[in-house]
Order: sequence, then structure tokens, then C-alpha cells
Amino acid sequence: MEEFLQNYGFLLVTLVQQSLLAMSLYFPLSAGQLSLASPGFYALGGYVAAIMATADYFAPWRDALGWAIFPLEWLIAGLVSALLAFLVGVPALRLRGIYLALATIAFVEILRVVCLNLAITGGAIGIFGIPQLFESRWGYIWIFGPLLVITLIFSYRLDRSRVGRAFKAIREDELAAGAMGINPTHYKVLSFVIGAVLAGIVGAMSAPFLNTWNARQGTFDASISYLAYVLIGGGRSLWGPMLGAVLLASLPELLRPLKDARLIINGMVLVIASIYLPFGIAGALQRLKLSTLKRYASLRGGR
Amino acid sequence: MRRSVLVTLLLTLCAGAAYAEHVTAPIPVGIAVAQTSNVALFGQEQIIGAKIAEKYFNKSGVNGTPIKLVSQDTGGDEAGAINAFQNLINQEKVVGIVGPTLSQQAFSADPIANRLKVPVVGPSNTAKGIPQIGEYIGRVSAPVAKVAPFALKQALKQNPKIKKVAVLYAQNDAFSASETVTFQETVKSMKLEIVTLQKFMTTDTDFTTQATAVLGANVDLAIVSGLAADGGNLVKQLRQLGYKGIIIGGNGFNTANLFPVCGKNCDGILVAQAYSPEANNPVNKAFVDEYRRTYKKDPSQFSAQAFAAVQVFGEGLRRVEAATKKKITQLELSVVRTELNKALRSGSFVTPLGEISLDNEGEINQKTFYVSQIKMDANGKSGKFVIVK
Repeated sequence: MEEFLQNYGFLLVTLVQQSLLAMSLYFPLSAGQLSLASPGFYALGGYVAAIMATADYFAPWRDALGWAIFPLEWLIAGLVSALLAFLVGVPALRLRGIYLALATIAFVEILRVVCLNLAITGGAIGIFGIPQLFESRWGYIWIFGPLLVITLIFSYRLDRSRVGRAFKAIREDELAAGAMGINPTHYKVLSFVIGAVLAGIVGAMSAPFLNTWNARQGTFDASISYLAYVLIGGGRSLWGPMLGAVLLASLPELLRPLKDARLIINGMVLVIASIYLPFGIAGALQRLKLSTLKRYASLRGGR
Repeated sequence: MRRSVLVTLLLTLCAGAAYAEHVTAPIPVGIAVAQTSNVALFGQEQIIGAKIAEKYFNKSGVNGTPIKLVSQDTGGDEAGAINAFQNLINQEKVVGIVGPTLSQQAFSADPIANRLKVPVVGPSNTAKGIPQIGEYIGRVSAPVAKVAPFALKQALKQNPKIKKVAVLYAQNDAFSASETVTFQETVKSMKLEIVTLQKFMTTDTDFTTQATAVLGANVDLAIVSGLAADGGNLVKQLRQLGYKGIIIGGNGFNTANLFPVCGKNCDGILVAQAYSPEANNPVNKAFVDEYRRTYKKDPSQFSAQAFAAVQVFGEGLRRVEAATKKKITQLELSVVRTELNKALRSGSFVTPLGEISLDNEGEINQKTFYVSQIKMDANGKSGKFVIVK
């Protein structure tokens, strides 16, 4: 067990972390908004935590607060992300579909170039020597794990609330939802902000986890990976993004013994899944469950 | 019940690897560099260099015991580097690690090796602050601040009348961004004037704006910090638009991949190098001969530094045997790792880079640096670096 955690602890925590990032894409998607801005907020949150943990300006805070500086970092990262998401979201969410996706990619790119050029973010090298919350990488499960559980419960409850139903209505038909008295802008911005806050907090937790933070964390490539998690896992179910993240993030590591062939297999999984599983893995499982239920019912002579 | 399970779990987590493990023969030395992703061009050069070093060293081995290179791909990101390091340390039980390729990856993965007390030698990490990560972290790649000034001195030798300087750099490349700071400081310390400072991206292809700015500023010297593709195109467009002065290239220009990009416009570029295939010592001769035999070209700095990194581990192991008067395979793994780290920091090594040593912090002390000028063939297709004295 101990040896297993030594070897795979980091990977397991990475899977939880990637699941959380996939979830951050799921919230706007549940309101029908294809936003790829998550890596931007992830990077932002990481920078907030990294700067608070290393900059001289915050030294008295660190001395006074001790370990409590970490929750404070998460809180501030979440707040900063929420504020920025609101400012960006109000104009950007006037765009629809592919145009919104493009605008959010541009946002991620702007943030990246800004971070590359600021002195406080350490330029291209980034920020390093970030103080640690836990000795071993596996220890970080104690912060990422609870966050994932909270996010899942939140998302489960949200789906069944007034707000969640409004999200769904907008996803199905924005005009119809508007006609029924739902304010689409309000709910679209809300879904965008929820996703951003989650990504920001995950970023803030990831900075010590990765030991260093730099502008390579929030890139267009990351946007595409998170989108793949959601598409492969299934964007219409709460479990889909998690499934996708766990599968796609663990494959390259589990296939490590195959050396170069691992990238080929990884690519093949992506292609096959997107051709044969249009609603993702979660969608396929759902249909499997439905068809078994039907067959079972017909055997019993029902209907 | 549930609590007791949790407590035992926590206890086992805290206990760590306390039990004794011995080093196996052949002695495993890890190499974690980028074999995939966009950094793979460098990583593959490093693997080649390391493999030649393994073969060269195993002619005698560690007093008869051979070393064995175990390689793990880091990819181009931070998480990949951590995974590769943990795999090498915990599963492959290596005595030390050569890697990773990028400085950013080093900042991410090196603290993990340091906490587990595994010596790391960076073959290409040139950013400031790498050896300071911890007592188990060292490098054989001289930091930019040491190498860059040599090219400037050479330019002044060729044209003592230089007064105005243009500095250009790729702002999204960590190496170039830190290198340009060194260049700018050196320019100022030599009482020259930076009249224009231009930024570009490694993904750019059109450099008309930057070239026009340089020409408008009427400079005698242009210093470019970028990678082969973008830097080469920048030089080409600069020359095509009529720039006649001297050009200094940063370390990114230190590769034959530059030649096809700027063609005959590459001619005359000055590059300061931490390594030259023409360096005159027996280890370098053996290395260059072997490299040329297999790949029909001269080795790059990346290969040479990876060779040096593997070599210092090998010779360090010999020193451990000499100091403990025991075979490596009779010692516990944790003891070998600690002793090896001490041995790396004691005395000098004669490598393809010339005579080098690591100071107590793990920083490299390199005796000689080189300045080369690019000489292109008449057809402008191939060229070479010629050392200027």
C-alpha cells in the first residue's frame, strides 16, 4: 500500500485535480455555454497562491497566519476569479456557440501573455520554491479530495434546484427560456462565474502541489484537454467530466511501459470515443442502462 | 474500526521507506528528459549524449561494475517531470537522476528528489536558482549569465567602434527571457547604449516590425535571444531588409537546425557556447568520434552536457567506492545516494565541456567557454560553427 502510494500518489491526486478542472467546464456547459476559459482562471488562481506564498510583501501575513494562509489563498483566488469572470462574462456571454469558445480562448491567451510580461509573476520562468502544505505528493489528496466531494454534492443539488433547472432550460432553448421569464444573461454569467471560481481554487491548491507556477499552466492546449475530458466523459451528466478526466489523464501514465506507442493509443482512444460515443462514456452507460431495463421489462411481459 | 484503519493508514504513510535496500548491479542511473512534446528535439539530443556516455564509461565501469541508464519520458510539462522522477526514484531505485530538460520542469520535480535525498544533475537547466533548490540538486549546464558576455566581448574585438545596440528576444521562451536580461546588463556594463528593445514570440514568422525598428535605430550590433526557427527567420528578414552590422545569437542559436532557416544569411552570426566539438581533450575526442560515426554530424551542446552529467555520476560512484572502501552493491541505496551527492561536489571532472567541478551548492564551475562564428557554405545550405579566438 505504502509503496503503491509512493509510486502512484501523485498520479491519483492529479486525477482528482483534473476531474475538478473538467467540472469547472461542466458548469457553464450545463447552461449551454461552450467556455474554454477554465485554464485562464486556473492559472490566475495558481498565481494568486504562488505570489501570496512567496512574495516579501506577504511575509508578515505568513508569519501571523501559519498554515491558515493556505485557506486564505484559496479564498482570495476564488474571489479574484469570480470578479474577473464577472467582468469578462458580462460582455463575452453575449456571444454564442463557437464565438464564445473563441472569445474565451482569446481571454486565456491574453492572460498568458500578461503573466509572461509581468515582474510579479516571474516572467517566463515563473514562481518557484513555493512552500509546501504536505510532505508527500499523496498528502494533497486531503485538500483536493474534499473539494471534489463538495463540488459533486454542490453540482448534484444545483441540478435539482431552481437555478439548475434554469441552466437546463437555457441549454435547451435560450429564446424559450427567456419567454418563460428566465433572465438568460443572469444565469449564463452565474454558470460562468461558478466554473471560474472552481478553476481558480483548484489553481491555488495546485501551486504548492506542483512546487512551481508559470505561464505554461494556463494554455490553449490545456483548454483543449479539459474540453476533451468533458466530451469523452459526457457533458450531460454530472459523472461524465470526472470519468473523462480520470480516463484521459491516467492513460499516458498507465501506458508508460509502452514508451512511444502510448501517445498513439492515447490518440486512438480519443478518436474512437468521439466517433462511437457521441454523448460520451456517461451517455453510453445511460443508454445501456435504459436498454437493459427495457429488455428486462419486455421479458417480464411488461408493456 | 474505521478510525483505526485510518490511523494505520496514516502511520504507514509517515513511516516512509525505512527498510534497507541494496543497490543492484548494473548500477541504475536515471535519465528523465523530454522524449515527447515540443521539447523533444532537445531531449533526444540528451538521450544520445547520455547513451554514448554510458557506453564510454562502461569500458571500465565503477571498478568493474557497469552502470545502466534507465530512461523515463518527462514530456514537456511539470506534472510529467514529477511522474518520471517518482517512477525512477521509487520503482527503478536509481542512485541519481540526470534531468529534466527545462528549467521550469526542474523547479517542479527537483524539490521531490531533494526531499527523498536523491542526487540530481541538470543537463540543460540554465535558469537562475536551480542549484539553490536544495542540497541534492546540481547542474552541469553553465547559467546564461556566465556564457553570454563572451560573445559581446568578441563583437567588440571585431568592431571596437560599436556604440548603439539593438536587443531582441522571444518573450514566451523562459531561456531567452532570462538570457536577454544578462545581455542587457552586459551591454550596459560595457558602456554601450541599447537604442531599441524588441520582443517577439517563438511562434512568430513575420518580423518586419522588429527588423524595421532595428534598421531605423541605426545600430552597429543586434543581439537576438530566440530559438532556432524564430531566431533564424528574424535574422533572415533583418539581413534581407538591409542590416549590415554584427549579429550575436543567444544559446538558442547553438544548433545546426538554424542553418536551413536563415540559409546564407546565417553567415557571420556570433554565438557564445558552453561547448565546442573542437575542444581539445581526450574525453571530448572519444565523444565526438563516436557521435560522428553514428550520426554523421557534430554533437550539439545538449548532447555534450548530457554526456557530462552521466559521466560525473559514473566517476562520482568511483569516488564513493574509494571513500567507503566497499563495492557500491554492498551499500544501502540511501547511503549510496547521500555519498554520491557528496562525491559529486568534491574535486573536478574532465568532460567534453573541459574541466568542470560542482561547488558546494551544486553550481557548475566551468573553466573554458567558446565563441563561435557561423560560416555558411557557398550554396547557403549547410554551415558550421568556427571557433574565433
